[in-house]
Amino acid sequence: MQALIDFFAAPPFGLQGALALSAAYAVCIGSLLGFITVYAMFAIWMERKVAAHMQVRFGPMETGGWHGWAQSLADAVKLLFKEDLIPAQANKVLFWIAPAVVFCGVFAGFVAIPFAVGVQIADVDLGVFFIIAVAAVEVVGVIMAGWASNSKYSLFGAVREAAQVVSYEVPAAVALLVPILVVGSLRLGDFNAWQEEHGWLVLRNPFLPVAALIFFIASLAGCKRAPFDLPEAESELVSGFHTEYSGMRFSFFFLEEYASMFVSSLLVATLFFGGWTLPFVDVSAAPAPVGVVVLLAKTFFFIFVQMWLRWTLPRLRVDQMMAMGWKYLLPWALLCVVGTAAFEAWGWGWLPLSGG
Amino acid sequence: MEALELYTADVQDDVWTEELKLNLGPQHPSTHGVLRVELKMDGEIITAARSDIGYLHRCAEKIGENVSYLQFTPYTDRMDYLAACNNELAWSLAVEKLLGVEAPERAQWLRVIACELNRIASHLIAFGTYGIDMGANTPFFYAFREREAIMALLERPAGSRMLYNYVRPGGVAHDIDERWLPDVLAFCDEFERRWAEYNQILSTNKIFIARTANVGVLPREMALAWGCTGPVLRGSGVRWDLRRDVPYLWPYGEVEFDVPVGEGTHGTLGDCWDRYWVRMREMIESVRIIRQACARVPSGDFMDKAMARAYKTPVKPPKGEAYMRCENPRGELGFYLVSEGGASPIRCRARGPSFCNLSVLEALLPGCMIADGVAIIGSLDIVLGEVDR
Repeated sequence: MQALIDFFAAPPFGLQGALALSAAYAVCIGSLLGFITVYAMFAIWMERKVAAHMQVRFGPMETGGWHGWAQSLADAVKLLFKEDLIPAQANKVLFWIAPAVVFCGVFAGFVAIPFAVGVQIADVDLGVFFIIAVAAVEVVGVIMAGWASNSKYSLFGAVREAAQVVSYEVPAAVALLVPILVVGSLRLGDFNAWQEEHGWLVLRNPFLPVAALIFFIASLAGCKRAPFDLPEAESELVSGFHTEYSGMRFSFFFLEEYASMFVSSLLVATLFFGGWTLPFVDVSAAPAPVGVVVLLAKTFFFIFVQMWLRWTLPRLRVDQMMAMGWKYLLPWALLCVVGTAAFEAWGWGWLPLSGG
Repeated sequence: MEALELYTADVQDDVWTEELKLNLGPQHPSTHGVLRVELKMDGEIITAARSDIGYLHRCAEKIGENVSYLQFTPYTDRMDYLAACNNELAWSLAVEKLLGVEAPERAQWLRVIACELNRIASHLIAFGTYGIDMGANTPFFYAFREREAIMALLERPAGSRMLYNYVRPGGVAHDIDERWLPDVLAFCDEFERRWAEYNQILSTNKIFIARTANVGVLPREMALAWGCTGPVLRGSGVRWDLRRDVPYLWPYGEVEFDVPVGEGTHGTLGDCWDRYWVRMREMIESVRIIRQACARVPSGDFMDKAMARAYKTPVKPPKGEAYMRCENPRGELGFYLVSEGGASPIRCRARGPSFCNLSVLEALLPGCMIADGVAIIGSLDIVLGEVDR
């Protein structure tokens, strides 16, 4: 970020103060938007391929030539040109801004993500907290969408989403406390640095793998992915909160889903599985792009697992989903916090201890 | 109902909530056609349900009174369109009874094979769509892979893939080619392996069991009282199968097979899981029947000679009436015919299994969650083409 500001402050631009800052932000936001769009298109194509191969099909094969790589691109163009429908009885203002609100939450989270040393827009001290916090904004947008659509199915979807996200934020946050407890920081960069020095956090003590699993399950619920896709629940609620949406507005919900899959997978990779570090190979001296590639590879692995689960598991019922969050995940997450605290206090663990 | 009473007793004094009317269908992904269910909802819980049918009414029975006996056979295909052969069989048997003819032996065995293949295909759809109702999309594609093989097999003698018009009064429409029986046997071997896969992906899945066990419990007495038949009745523990108890085709009396019934494996007897599991095991029993039948297909005529001649002129059965019922994949399908000696019956009525099985829906839904409602509709495995006729 600072490098960008300096770049705009220096000739040939020679922008001063706030101007340089704005220019730098504009570049950052533009590139992030581009990244999310391209990533989402790739992920959607990947999802279709994963689903197809699990279901003894090929999936898209024609568009663009090689294995239908341009299918998402074609779909995006189609969505752009679709008629912008707003139901006559809908609350137009809320209906109009809901997709934007939904997308904003997860988009803001991207700002704090470190892709490699120095490849980060804002190095937030409270990075983990910030991402979790802004991601929760999404639920507001979903409720707006569900309510404004003036459709009972949408309303059901929105209410389910509210219940689900509120319930699963708790075990997710508690599970995140576990690595935070070990590292002693909320800065995402610190997690990478710590793991570079001491090894992957997930191997630190017996409680951390459990915490990783809990966070992963809870983030599945946060992303509305199967088996927690109740807010959309195609066979029950037609399409849930976005039943009435079409065209570009619908695609924003889609974009949001894939973007939040990315964020949650990246958090799992960064907080538990070493971030941009590799076991056995020291990549700390390697240039930043290597770190980016390593981190993205890990992230895509977890995205793949999410897809894998989606095309394997049936959907839970509402009460079972709530029971899962409150009766199983939360107690286990609390146990992990207590256990890790004890292990840290007495200096036990499977990995060599930190200097302190 | 108990759950509902408990629920309302708990909540009544505490929070006031507004009742919500929800239209499930006729355009809804999991009503399996154009069924419309009017639900009264208290939050996620259904307090009352009323099913509304008739969106696919095509006057099938009235058509039967206006076309000739032989012309009506393809119309029966379009009632329960997933089990066309079985419908044709019930109709053909009723017409044969009226005429006093019997299909030759070869035709009898071919009918058994065709109907059992069709039963597997029909249960495969039930299995696949039930997966989708539960939010698992993949089993559907596995089921369609095997169904495709069955359709390709039945296409060879029948000429069409879904609405076969193969079983006709007097026998079957065409003879089989010499490779057909070995191919059917090869399919049986393949299918048994695939069947194990289905259980791995869906039947033994913990979430699936949690979603279906103890949901939509249909007690034995209620199932009998409401006239349920087929897997819905057997799922409630009643061992009643026309193939075994009233062998309408004599080959059924000569082959060995079991009649699977629900046992309450994962919960209460007669829940959605039991109905589902009865269907799954029936597929394997059908494979057993097909194997034995393939070994016993004799050579000879595939169509009664007199009937083959009669196909060129309108058939005019003597005065009288006939009722024949068959065990369809969904239950008992019966045709009642009254002849006055004319070229078409003066009365033609069908007793459809889906129609009777659907009647329990209104009684099962109250007290369930909306997701359970979808599970119950799926487990009844209705075909609206036959409900509405």
